[in-house]
Amino acid sequence: MFNIRTRRAALAAAAVTASAALVLTGCSGGSEPAATYDPDEEVTLNLAFWGNDVRADLYDQAIAAFNEEYPNITVNSSFLGFPEFWEKRQTEAAGGGLPDVMQFDYSYLRQYSENGLLLDLEPYLGNIIDTEPLSEQILGIGVVNGETTGIPTSTNAWGMFTNPVLLEQAGVEDFAGGSWEDYNDWMAEVTEASGGEVYGGTDWTGRIQNFEIQQRAGGDDLFTDEGEPNFTEEDLAAFWEQGDSIREDGTVISQQELEEIYPVSGFDAAKTASELTWDNFGAGYLGNLGEGYTELGLIAPPVTEEGAKDLYLKPSMLHSIAATTDHPEAAATLVNFLVNSPEAGAIFGTNRGLPASETMLEGAELDPLGEQIRAYEESISDRLGDAPPVPIVGYGTLEEKFRQLGTELGFGTLTVDEAVSQFFSEMDVVLNQ
Amino acid sequence: MSTTLTRAIVTADKEGRPRLLGRRGPDTPTRHGLKVRNRRETATGYTFLLPWMIGFLGLTLGPMIYSLYLAFTKYNLFTEPEFIGLDNFVRMFTEDPQYIQSVQITLVYVLIGTPIKLAAALAVAMLLNYRDRGSTFFRSSFYAPSLIGASVSVAIVWRAMFSTDGPVDNTLSFFGIEIGGWVGNVALVLPMMILLAVWQFGAPMVIFLAGLKQVPRELYEAAEVDGAGPIRKFRSVTFPMLSSVIFFNLLLELINAFQVFASAYIISNGSGGPAGMTNFYTVYLYKRGFADLQMGYAAAMAWVLVIVVAIIAAILFKTQKSWVHYAGDNR
Repeated sequence: MFNIRTRRAALAAAAVTASAALVLTGCSGGSEPAATYDPDEEVTLNLAFWGNDVRADLYDQAIAAFNEEYPNITVNSSFLGFPEFWEKRQTEAAGGGLPDVMQFDYSYLRQYSENGLLLDLEPYLGNIIDTEPLSEQILGIGVVNGETTGIPTSTNAWGMFTNPVLLEQAGVEDFAGGSWEDYNDWMAEVTEASGGEVYGGTDWTGRIQNFEIQQRAGGDDLFTDEGEPNFTEEDLAAFWEQGDSIREDGTVISQQELEEIYPVSGFDAAKTASELTWDNFGAGYLGNLGEGYTELGLIAPPVTEEGAKDLYLKPSMLHSIAATTDHPEAAATLVNFLVNSPEAGAIFGTNRGLPASETMLEGAELDPLGEQIRAYEESISDRLGDAPPVPIVGYGTLEEKFRQLGTELGFGTLTVDEAVSQFFSEMDVVLNQ
Repeated sequence: MSTTLTRAIVTADKEGRPRLLGRRGPDTPTRHGLKVRNRRETATGYTFLLPWMIGFLGLTLGPMIYSLYLAFTKYNLFTEPEFIGLDNFVRMFTEDPQYIQSVQITLVYVLIGTPIKLAAALAVAMLLNYRDRGSTFFRSSFYAPSLIGASVSVAIVWRAMFSTDGPVDNTLSFFGIEIGGWVGNVALVLPMMILLAVWQFGAPMVIFLAGLKQVPRELYEAAEVDGAGPIRKFRSVTFPMLSSVIFFNLLLELINAFQVFASAYIISNGSGGPAGMTNFYTVYLYKRGFADLQMGYAAAMAWVLVIVVAIIAAILFKTQKSWVHYAGDNR
C-alpha cells in the first residue's frame, strides 16, 4: 500500500507542478536597479540551506548577528540534507516558490540561471554587495551567460587526504608525491605493510574529478564553453584501464566492503589510508573517524604532467537569490552579510569551506584544519589553472553515473569498454535533455 | 418506513400512467416511481461522493492523464515538455542497459518472492488453524512484521543484520559457512531483499487464516471417512475451498511486489547498489524522475509498469476459471 501511495503522490506532484511550470516560464528577470535597502522597511525573508544541526546552529547565530544590524528584516531559515534540499528546490522552482535566499551548489547554477530562476545580482554589486574583498576570479565563478547569479561563500580545491595514524601503524611514510603509478605503488606498499587490515586507498578511477584533472593536464576541460564533451571514448577507456591492476590485485579496498559502509567512504571508516577528494572534507572525515584521530595529512594529488595547470579553485557553495523575490534589496543585504561580513566569518569558520571573501576570512578564526586548507591552497598555486566553465545542465547525473560505473568496474560486472559505452549513451541523453 | 416512502411515490404517480402489471399491489412502486427514487438516491450518493471525486479527478486521474502525455515528451520540470513521440520507449528497450537490468531484478523479485511468501503465509496459517490455544498471540506476532515492514527502521535493521560480522554472518560462520556480508554482495543482496519480503507474510497469512476457518469441518470428516491422508486432504479439500482466497492474495501480492521501493531505497541508501542489484523498477523510476529530472522518461517507465501489471492481472483473471472455486458455484 505504501508503495502505491508514494508512486501516485510522486506522479501527482510531478504533474501538478508541471502545469505551474508552464505559467512560470518566461516571467523572470527585469528587476529594477533600485540598489539600496531602506532599513525601516519591515521585511520577511526565507533562507534555505543544506547541512546538518551543527550548520543550522551556525546559521541561527549568523541571523542573530545580522538582526543586530538590521532588526527589521525577519529571516526564516530552513535546512535539509543535500539530496533532499535539491528535490525540494526542483519542485519549488517548477511551482514558482523558491526561497528568497538560498545556499547554492555549483552544479545546479547553470540550470537555474538559464531558466531565469535566479536574480541577476549585477545591480547590487559594488553597492549593497561589497565586491572589494572578492577577487575577480571568485566573482567570475558565479557568472552564467554574462549574468552574476551566485556569489561564492568559500572555495575548495581537489586534494588528497592521508591518515597519519594508519600510516604509522603500517610503518609507511606519507605519500611523497609523484605520478599516478607512484601513487598506486605507494598504496600497494601500505596495503601490504598493514597485512591487509588497512588499504592504501580507494580505486581513484571511480571519481570523475580524477579524470578531469588528468584531462586538464593535457589542456582540455571535460566540457567546452558551449557545453560539448571534450574527450573521446578512447580517453575514458584509457583512464579506467589505469585502475585495472589495483582493482585486481587487491591494492585498494574492495567494492563489496565499500558498499556495506556506504554512504561513508573507506577513509571515513579508517579502512583506507588515503583518499582523493575536495579539500574541505577534512572536518567531516575527522568527525566520522572519531576518537583517536586528531589530524590528517592534506597533500596534492598525483601529477599527470609536470608543470600542468590541472587543479582549480571551485566554490564549495554560493549564495543566490530567487528571481521571484519581493525584496531583492533586503535579500542582497542578507547575502552580503553571509558572504562578506567578519561576523559571519567568525561564526562559520571553515564550516562552509575556506571563506572566499577577504573580510570574511579575516573574521574567521581558523582551526588547525582550516589553517591546513589555507596552506594547502597556497602550496598548489602553481598547479591552479582557470576554473572550467560552469558545469553543464545534468552534470550531477553524469557524475553519479560515473561513480556508479566505477562501482560496477570494482565488482567486475562490467568491462571497461561496456562502461565507456554506457557513459557515452548517458551523456547523449543528458546533453539532449 | 419503507411503506410510507412507497406510498408517497405512488401518490406522486397519479398522472394516470397505465399500470402494466396487474399483479402489482398498491404498496409496490411503479416503474416510474422507482426511477424517481433511484435518481434521487443517485444524486444523494454522488453528493456524498463529491469530496472524494474532486480529489480523485484533480489529484489522481488528471495527473495520470497528464503523465500519459508526459510519457511522450522530454521534460525536465523547468522548460515546457517537448513532444518526442516514442523516443522514451525506444530508449527504454534498446538503449538503456540499466533499465533492462532493473526489469530483470524486479521480475526475479516478484516471480520468486511472491510464491515463497504466499507458501509461507499459507503454511503458517494452517499451523495456526490447527491449535486454538495461544493462536491469538502467535497470529499477532506473525502479523507484526507486515505492519512495520514498510517502515524505515526495519530496512535499517535488515541492513545491519546482513552486514559483514552482523548477526546473520556470525550465525552462518558458526556453522562453518563463510560468505561474509550480504548487503555488499552482488549475488546475495537480491536473495536478502526477497527474504525481507517473505518475512512480511503476515498480511496474506491473516487472510488465509480467515479463509481456513470458513472451510466446513464436515468436508474433512467426509474425506477422513474416505481414508484421505493429510496431503490428499490438502489437495482435495483445503486447496479448492481456499482457491478464491489464494487468488485474491496472489493478485494483491504480485501488484505490491512490483512496486517495491522503500526497503530497497533505504538498504542501498538510494543508490540501487551493489552494481544495480537493488535498483528495482520504482527505485530506478524515482531516480530518473527526481534525481536526473528526466520526468518524461520516468512517466514513460511508470506507464509501462501500469500496463504490465494490468496485463498480468488480466491473465490471472483469465486463468482463474480453471483453478479458482467459488462457494455456491456449481461448475
